[in-house]
Amino acid sequence: MDLNMDLNAPHSMGTTIIGVTYKGGVVLGADSRTSTGVYVANRASDKITKLTDNVYVCRSGSAADSQIVSDYVRHFLHQHTIQLGQPATVKVAANLVRLLAYNNKDMLQTGLIVGGWDKYDGGRIYGIPLGGTILEQPFAIGGSGSSYLYGFFDQAWKEEMSREEAEQLVVKAVSLAIARDGASGGVVRTVTINSEGVTRKFYPGDQLPLWHEELEPKNSLLDVLNASSPEPMNI
Amino acid sequence: MSTSAIDVPPKGGFSFDLCRRNDMLAKKGLKSPSYLKTGTTIVGLIFQDGVILGADTRATEGPIVADKNCEKIHYMAPNIYCCGAGTAADTEAVTDMVSSQLQLHRYHTGRESRVVTALTLLKKHLFGYQGYVSAALVLGGVDVTGPHLHTIYPHGSTDTLPFATMGSGSLAAMSVFESKYKEGLTRDEGIRLVTEAICSGIFNDLGSGSNVDVCVITKGQKDYLRNHLLPNPRTYVSSKGYSFPKKTEVLLTKIMPLKDKVEIIEKGDAMEE
Amino acid sequence: MTKQQANWSPYDNNGGSCVAIAGADYCVIAADTRLSTGYNILTRDYSKICKLADKAVMASSGFQADVKALQKVLSARHLTYQHQHNKQMSCPAMAQLLSNTLYFKRFFPYYAFNVLGGLDSEGKGCVFTYDAVGSYERVGYSAQGSGSTLITPFLDNQLKSPSPLLLPAQDSSTPLSEAEAIDLVKTVFASATERDIYTGDKLEIVVLNADGLRREYMDLRKD
Repeated sequence: MDLNMDLNAPHSMGTTIIGVTYKGGVVLGADSRTSTGVYVANRASDKITKLTDNVYVCRSGSAADSQIVSDYVRHFLHQHTIQLGQPATVKVAANLVRLLAYNNKDMLQTGLIVGGWDKYDGGRIYGIPLGGTILEQPFAIGGSGSSYLYGFFDQAWKEEMSREEAEQLVVKAVSLAIARDGASGGVVRTVTINSEGVTRKFYPGDQLPLWHEELEPKNSLLDVLNASSPEPMNI
Repeated sequence: MSTSAIDVPPKGGFSFDLCRRNDMLAKKGLKSPSYLKTGTTIVGLIFQDGVILGADTRATEGPIVADKNCEKIHYMAPNIYCCGAGTAADTEAVTDMVSSQLQLHRYHTGRESRVVTALTLLKKHLFGYQGYVSAALVLGGVDVTGPHLHTIYPHGSTDTLPFATMGSGSLAAMSVFESKYKEGLTRDEGIRLVTEAICSGIFNDLGSGSNVDVCVITKGQKDYLRNHLLPNPRTYVSSKGYSFPKKTEVLLTKIMPLKDKVEIIEKGDAMEE
Repeated sequence: MTKQQANWSPYDNNGGSCVAIAGADYCVIAADTRLSTGYNILTRDYSKICKLADKAVMASSGFQADVKALQKVLSARHLTYQHQHNKQMSCPAMAQLLSNTLYFKRFFPYYAFNVLGGLDSEGKGCVFTYDAVGSYERVGYSAQGSGSTLITPFLDNQLKSPSPLLLPAQDSSTPLSEAEAIDLVKTVFASATERDIYTGDKLEIVVLNADGLRREYMDLRKD
């Protein structure tokens, strides 16, 4: 097929994923685009996957690889929780992810951010990039969109943020990356985890802030054609 | 960094050595045998009370139509069906294998199969073969937890969606879904939308063609509508018809009897009774 | 695709099939009207048949850009011919011109597979069939393009033509009547469309006889 479309290319999530700690918990954020080459195979995917009740993971890279890793880790954590008789810690979950990522580094193309809350350490974020390194960080960013965000986070991240501040930071960051990174897009999903539990939030693509030179979102081409300007090329 | 200096002992799993060899031979100009590829349009959607799957019926081998009316909606379990695109042999083998595993699982548990079970078995197999088993699937069914629709890619990744398309005609079909799908469609609306999406693939994608197959799965019931629509009848039949009278030409009618090459000599006593 | 890529090709194959049948006093030239690339249909209504002279009609499949360039060269050469000789070119002359034009680009060929049909100086139907670099032959019937592998064996079975090596030379035109030839052409295209993904949409038939030129259309499968 033309346009360099390779629909047989492995599914990859050119992604923006974020994990941020705040006073009392963590906020995880992600866009929702999954692509095969230039085709958007899924525009509403959920890249923030549940590992246990109190630990979630943000996935980037090969969709197949990140799914299999999180499936295994979820399986191990289930067993671990039963044997322990209490919820697994974020540290244990992240270390299991690291173990699989490190031991199979020659087979896997995936970078993950593990985030959650436990009674020992409170809110924790672990970044596990490509080779199986593990880094405990106050905030972590990943995926193709993250390159647009390093400077922003250096400037905007503050210690001891409130929950609202942290959530707004994550939504703002993902929407900034969506605006600049062609491989990220769709909606913004966030997961907030603290001592109270887990809250999922969903920000539709047409309700995100508009950044420099961005145009108003349009539902369909028909809206554009029926607009006051009759010339479609002059919009 | 990336290439380790020491050889790491193999950890088991499928050996892809021959795949690498085949890639090398292909680069050197070897033509590998062509397989039956179902350049395909397959779709699925969730409606009011279940799932509808759809498929075209053309199988191609390069530019030639190998089968004008093949079946691409495969049986997985009484409440689960699966559309397959990619190499015909792979989609057939992988769905057959998993459906038998599901049957055994039902004998073991005495319960109705779940769609996630089929999903997990399929993705496990495909991930294990790292994309070399080229099956792209749309899996749909209704189980105790409700209606489910998933797509499965050859590398083993899966998506969960309210409407899905796959195969070479997936872009044509998705354009129909993206402009017309809405939540809570009725059964008739759903069938009509699926048929329209498949027709879009049939007419705009050369890899897809012939007829529309539809499968409607609802709680405790399924309707496999084989050849639900036949939008491509034969365009011209000669009024006089054709005959093919000539047989292979007879060159020689002389019959030569076989000659004995070995002389048999009767010697000694005949065997005693 | 951009030129920088190592696997870039100056050619594309836009598919399609062409058939021509010559009779005693007519010639039928037919082609489908589908133009495609890869798995995409570019248009369902593109004529592959080009009238080169009053009694010479060419049907071509292959790469549309090359076909278009070839048609342009031939019509320019034919215009020059008319100015110099004050008459239309005959079909056998056009056949030789087409061969020369193709061979001129021997080492960067026109990716075009042609059949030339028409009437010769005696008013008999004639068909010339070509390869991409100008090798040609006068035959009674011919099929070219993506469906030719399906059509040719059927035509061979129905219309066995005399060997061109026979001496004295045999008349190559087929024994069919005009109506029978049109019926045969419709049948082979309907059949080729069933099995060749690049053939379809519509069939354009051009009939040349003593009365002049006539066009007919028939619908084919659109999938």
